[in-house]
Amino acid sequence: MKKCLLCNQMFAPVLSLNQLLSWRKWHEEQLCHHCLAQFEFLPTISCKICSGKLLQDADKESLICSDCRRWQKIYGNNVLYHQAVYLYNQAFHDLMVNYKRYGDYVLCYVLQDLCYKNLAKIKADYYVPIPTSASHIAERQFDTVSAIYGDLVNLTAILGKIDGQQAQGEKSRKERLQSKQSFFIKAKYNIDLNMKKVLLLDDIYTTGRTLYHARDAVLTTFPKAKISSFSVCR
Amino acid sequence: MENLTSLIGRQWIGSQEDFSINTDLTKVNAIEDSHCKRCGAMVNAKLPNGKRYCRSCIELGRIVEGDILIRNEQEVVFPKDKRQLTWNGKLTPLQEKISQKLVENFINKKNTLIYAVTGAGKTEMLFALINQSLSWGQRCCIASPRIDVVNELYPRFKAAFNKTKIGKYHGQEYVDPGLDQLTICTTHQLLKFYHAFDLLVIDETDSFPYVENNTLHFAAKNALKIAGVQVYLTATPTKDLLADVKVGKIEILQVKRRFHGGKLPLPKEKMFLRPFLSKGKIHPKLLKEIIAVIKKGHPLLLFVPRIEQIPLYLSALKQVEQLRQIKIAGVYAGDKERLEKVQQFRNQKLQILVTTTILERGVTFKHVWVIIVQADDKIYTASSLVQIAGRVGRAKNDTDGLVLFCYHKYTNQLRKASQQIKELNR
Repeated sequence: MKKCLLCNQMFAPVLSLNQLLSWRKWHEEQLCHHCLAQFEFLPTISCKICSGKLLQDADKESLICSDCRRWQKIYGNNVLYHQAVYLYNQAFHDLMVNYKRYGDYVLCYVLQDLCYKNLAKIKADYYVPIPTSASHIAERQFDTVSAIYGDLVNLTAILGKIDGQQAQGEKSRKERLQSKQSFFIKAKYNIDLNMKKVLLLDDIYTTGRTLYHARDAVLTTFPKAKISSFSVCR
Repeated sequence: MENLTSLIGRQWIGSQEDFSINTDLTKVNAIEDSHCKRCGAMVNAKLPNGKRYCRSCIELGRIVEGDILIRNEQEVVFPKDKRQLTWNGKLTPLQEKISQKLVENFINKKNTLIYAVTGAGKTEMLFALINQSLSWGQRCCIASPRIDVVNELYPRFKAAFNKTKIGKYHGQEYVDPGLDQLTICTTHQLLKFYHAFDLLVIDETDSFPYVENNTLHFAAKNALKIAGVQVYLTATPTKDLLADVKVGKIEILQVKRRFHGGKLPLPKEKMFLRPFLSKGKIHPKLLKEIIAVIKKGHPLLLFVPRIEQIPLYLSALKQVEQLRQIKIAGVYAGDKERLEKVQQFRNQKLQILVTTTILERGVTFKHVWVIIVQADDKIYTASSLVQIAGRVGRAKNDTDGLVLFCYHKYTNQLRKASQQIKELNR
C-alpha cells in the first residue's frame, strides 16, 4: 500500500506482470486512480504543431490552433513542434499552485507520474530544461522544471535566465506575449548542439512565448540545432 | 511587523536572520522533533537540499527546517463593559436553561459539549456565554469547519453584539489580521493563532474537515489560552469528545428537542434490489416517491453521492411526464451558480434540487422534504445522515415530514443514524 501524494489516502499501486518479472527498477506510482482521473488528457485530434486543444472552427479546419497560427505569422514555417500530455484544467491548476506558489516540492513526483510514459517515447540527444531565475530558486529552494525531469532523463542545463523578471504565471495573456527574451546560453558549457536533436522541457505550455524564446536563445548559438519541445500540460 | 498590536495572539513564520530584539515576541524552532510546531503534523517531506518541510499546513506559507515561528503573546485587555449584548429576542425555557448552564460552566472554567438536535437554536444559546466573556474584557472566538457557516454566523453575531469589534476570517477572502475582541473564523484559520482566546467555541465539530483531523484539533488547542475554556457544538458527538466526557474533561449538555418543541422526523428506509438509475430511467418505486412529494406540494432535496451523477438524474427526471411542469436543478460545491440556485430553491422557484452533501447542514428550507439515493454509499456517515434528516420539519408550523433513505445494502452508518434519531426522540 502507498499513500497518494494528493489526497493522502492509502491505495494499492497496480503492478503489471512485466514489472514483476523484470529486474529493472520500475516507476512507482504516486497517485491513486481517483486523483489521476481528475486530470484530463489532451484530445486525440489536436493542433498538429503544439498538440493543443482546437477551440475555434478555423482551428478545426486547418488542425492548427490560434496560438500556432499567430506564431506562423511571426516565424513562417519555422514553428516549434511541441508535445504535451494533459489539458490545463482545475485539477492541474491546483496542482501547479501547490507546487510552484506554495513550494510543495514532493509534487514533482506527481508530475513525473503524469508524464514519464509519454516522455519515454521521445528520443533526443539533449534534454534542455527551461531555467528558473536564481531568485525564484532561492525562494523555493528547488528548481521546478529540473525537479520534474531530472529523474527521468539526463538534463543538459545550458540555458540561464536573467534575474529580476516577473514570473510568467503572474501575468495576463497579453503581458505574457509581450515579455522579452530573458534566456541566454551559459558560457561554461562547451558542447555543440548543431545537427543534434534537442528537446526543450517545461512544465506548462500556455501561449508558447517562453519556449519560443528559449528556442531562439539556443538557435543564436547553435543555428543548426534541431529543436522541439515537451511539457506535461498544454 | 509594522503593527504588533494587531498581531497579538497570532503566530507567523520568520527566518533565522530576522531576529529582532523585541522582547514581547517569543521565537521557537518551527520544526522540532520531526513535528511542525504550527500544525502538529509529522514532517517527512524533504527538499533537494535535505531540509524537511511541512506539507500539512503549506497553504499558510511553507515551514522549512531552520525557520522560526514568531509568536506574539502580549497580554491584551479590552474595556470591561457589562452590556455588550444588543439582542432582545427571547429564548425558550429549554434554551434558557442550557444558556445559563453554559455561563455557569464558563465561570467555573469547565469545558462543555452541547449535544443538540439539528434545529435546536444553538446560536442563540451562545449569546449569554459570549456576553459573559466579552464583558470581562476577554477575547473570544467562534470557529466552524465550514465557510458557509462562518458567513451565516457573522451577520447574526454582528446584529447581536453591534458594539463589539468582530473579525471574520476564512480562506476565500483576504482580510488584514486585526485585534478583534470577537473572532468568527474557519477552523483552518486557528492555525494562525497562539494562546489568543479565553473562550473558544467550535461549531459543527462532527463535520468535515474538522472531524478526525489532528491538525485542526492541534490548532484549536494552540489557539486557546492555557487557562481558556472550550465549548463544542454538535448534533452527533464524535468518539473522541465522548471519551473526554467520560473522563470528566468535558461536561455534556443535551438538547433533545427542537426550539419549537417538536420531535425529529423519523427516517423511512426502503430497500431497492435493482439499480436506482439504469438506462437513463429512474427506478419506478423511487420515482413514485419523488412524484408523491411533489404532489403534496413540498420542495424536494434529492441527495446523490457523487457530482457526476447529478446531470444523469437531472436528465432522467426531466423526461418524466408527471414532472413536466416542475422546475428542477442540480447543485454541487464548485457550481458557479450555487448561491443563486440555493436561493431560488429557498424562494420555492425550484421544486426539486439534486445535490451532493454540500447542503447536508447549516441550511434551512421551508417545508422541505428529503430523499437520499444510495444512502448506503460510504460517503454518508451516520453524522451526515442525521444532519440531512435534520433539514426536515424545522418550522414552527410544520414540524414533520418525509426523510427517505434508499439503499441496496443496509449499512452500519444507516443503523447508527436511525438509532441516534430514535434515541433523541425518546
